[in-house]
Amino acid sequence: MRMLKVLTLASAMALSAGLAHADSTVRFWYHFDNADNPMDALVEKFEAANPGITVEAENVPWNSYYDQLYTSIIGGNAPDAAMVKMFALPRLAEMGALEPLDAMLESWDGTANLQDNLLELTKGPDGKHYYLPVQYVVLYLYYRTDMFEELGLSVPKTCDEFREAAKALTRDTDGDGQIDTYGFGMRGGKGGHDHWATFTLSREGVTLEEGLDSEAGVAGTQYVVDLFRQDEVFPPSAPNDGFQEIIGAFKAGKTAMTIHHIGSANGMVEALGDKVSAAPVPECGGGRWTGFGDESTAILSSAEDKEAAWKWISFLSSEGNNTTFNEATGQLPVVKADSENWSLHPQRFVKATVDSLPFAELLPNVPETSDFVNTVWPVSMQRALTGEITAEEMNAEISELFAK
Amino acid sequence: MSDLTVLAGPSRPRRNLAREIMPYAMLTPAVLVTLAIVFLPMVQTAWMSLHEYVLFRPNDFVWVGLENFKAALQDEVFWISLRHTIIWMATTIPAQLLLGLITALLLNQDFPWRPVARALIIIPWALPSVVIALMWVWIYDSNYGVANEFLLRLGLIQRAVPWLADPDTALAAIILTLTWQGFPFFAVMILAGLQSIPRSYYEAASIDGASAWRQFWHITLPGISGVMMTAVLLRMIWVANSFDVIFVMTGGGPGYATYTLPLYAFVKARTNLDFGYGSALAVLFTMLLMVVVLFYLRRTRKAMD
Repeated sequence: MRMLKVLTLASAMALSAGLAHADSTVRFWYHFDNADNPMDALVEKFEAANPGITVEAENVPWNSYYDQLYTSIIGGNAPDAAMVKMFALPRLAEMGALEPLDAMLESWDGTANLQDNLLELTKGPDGKHYYLPVQYVVLYLYYRTDMFEELGLSVPKTCDEFREAAKALTRDTDGDGQIDTYGFGMRGGKGGHDHWATFTLSREGVTLEEGLDSEAGVAGTQYVVDLFRQDEVFPPSAPNDGFQEIIGAFKAGKTAMTIHHIGSANGMVEALGDKVSAAPVPECGGGRWTGFGDESTAILSSAEDKEAAWKWISFLSSEGNNTTFNEATGQLPVVKADSENWSLHPQRFVKATVDSLPFAELLPNVPETSDFVNTVWPVSMQRALTGEITAEEMNAEISELFAK
Repeated sequence: MSDLTVLAGPSRPRRNLAREIMPYAMLTPAVLVTLAIVFLPMVQTAWMSLHEYVLFRPNDFVWVGLENFKAALQDEVFWISLRHTIIWMATTIPAQLLLGLITALLLNQDFPWRPVARALIIIPWALPSVVIALMWVWIYDSNYGVANEFLLRLGLIQRAVPWLADPDTALAAIILTLTWQGFPFFAVMILAGLQSIPRSYYEAASIDGASAWRQFWHITLPGISGVMMTAVLLRMIWVANSFDVIFVMTGGGPGYATYTLPLYAFVKARTNLDFGYGSALAVLFTMLLMVVVLFYLRRTRKAMD
């Protein structure tokens, strides 16, 4: 085992020694699924301003991003800096893979320009800062204004109203006996925990770590299951649907509502124009819950030249550059000045985001969250949706994971 | 050197010695490479399976003995996955074999454009698994897929079926995909076998008045049985280990409806980063597959003799 590690390390070092031509090289991993990738322009601008530092930015596909990141760390071939999300922080911290940024943040004049509270939200479990925010989003409810108008519906503010609206919107529009539009596009596959959480974790006294197996917690899951099995307001493919499917179905008019964030807003407007708008998610069981979608950058503790790595990641979270970065991802800038001049999204989506911020939350900052997101939630939700297990059993499985 | 010469005697035995060592010397690099890239990881996997080893806690490499295996045998998902693996292999391979046999018999007939037909038939086999998986995901799609459209128009179903999202149909849908992907392999192998049967056998048989069915049963089948057997054994090992199509099409879902053992081991090791448990699953599965491998080795040895 150790022998192998030494060998991997040695070959990695030999490789990087062969590649190093400038004084310092920052290997940076990120994940963009847009064809329109501004990274080359950013790298060029950075290198012109910082002679002697070369940035090797590598776009790693999202589906295997964390698998690759974790294995590269263990294999001793980690990048110097990487784009990271909050759910990975506890694990990365436990692996000792992250470099604390506190000293650098303190001496950096860009710190004060960041949006309020973002650094607070992205703090590590031990109170230190390992993450530098680079973009953020908040999930909200997308709805079809034309369909709501046609049926005389108003935007649902509570779970009950949501259910009624979803039922009314599920209909056969061309009279061939087939349902053409479903009320809600539920993401039942990987990454859909935010949908479920909106209906479940909003309830009083219910969090992932506590009260999930209480009556209120089970009622939340039951609500989701009933929408699918009894009311049939989700498309039948809901248990397997991921991001592509729910967004595609909404754009195609197969669904009348779904939950996602501003990242998809421009695509929606391109497909539907004024027929799409957004509002904060409904209140369910006495409270509201929506997901805060974060994306930060971090320096790996194995980085050779940490100062150069910091220069690069702080460059991405600086005025102007942060706009360029977010123009491609379609999310919101973390720099105050960049937000003020933000004109890339129609105002109604920015408003829905800002209105949702007060009750936006992150998943718990513990190592189990990764398993919850990647396997436990998708598998148990799919089983509950297809009737293999009850809502109670699903919640029990999740409680068991967090009780460990 | 001189001592050695004296010991080894005059030049003749020395040449023999060189001749004896030569083959081993020439094989050594290949053996070393095989050891390094095949056996070392195997031994490492077996070693890891005896430990509690979670990747994001790299410093806790704790010896647990057979705990992981005990846990696997008590794990509901292990048995579900094993059941699916068996269903999967027991239906996919015979279906591929049958389809391949029919195709080979058809392609062995004389007809115009035969070379084109032969080239076309190989396409599913030549496409990368991921492409095939994505293609079939679209075919099965409940909103836009051609499968539903086709069946709806024929009046065979009343409303679109979510083939991959329904636990009752998901595994069958994937089996159909894999059958389609793998049958050209059998077709090509069997076709090669068919062409090695001398024409004169059939001529003699038809002079003796044997029906087409009897000719098939007594000449064709014995003629290709060796090829078929080898192909089935090879295919069993491949089918058992290939989980890429499932991974892309459903990721194992909905729920555990399309979990197979290699997929479960992969999910445990790669997604949950639980390498100890994942290795134990892989080792258990390897032991089950050993039976097939032994059969295969015995066959190849017989063929070599």
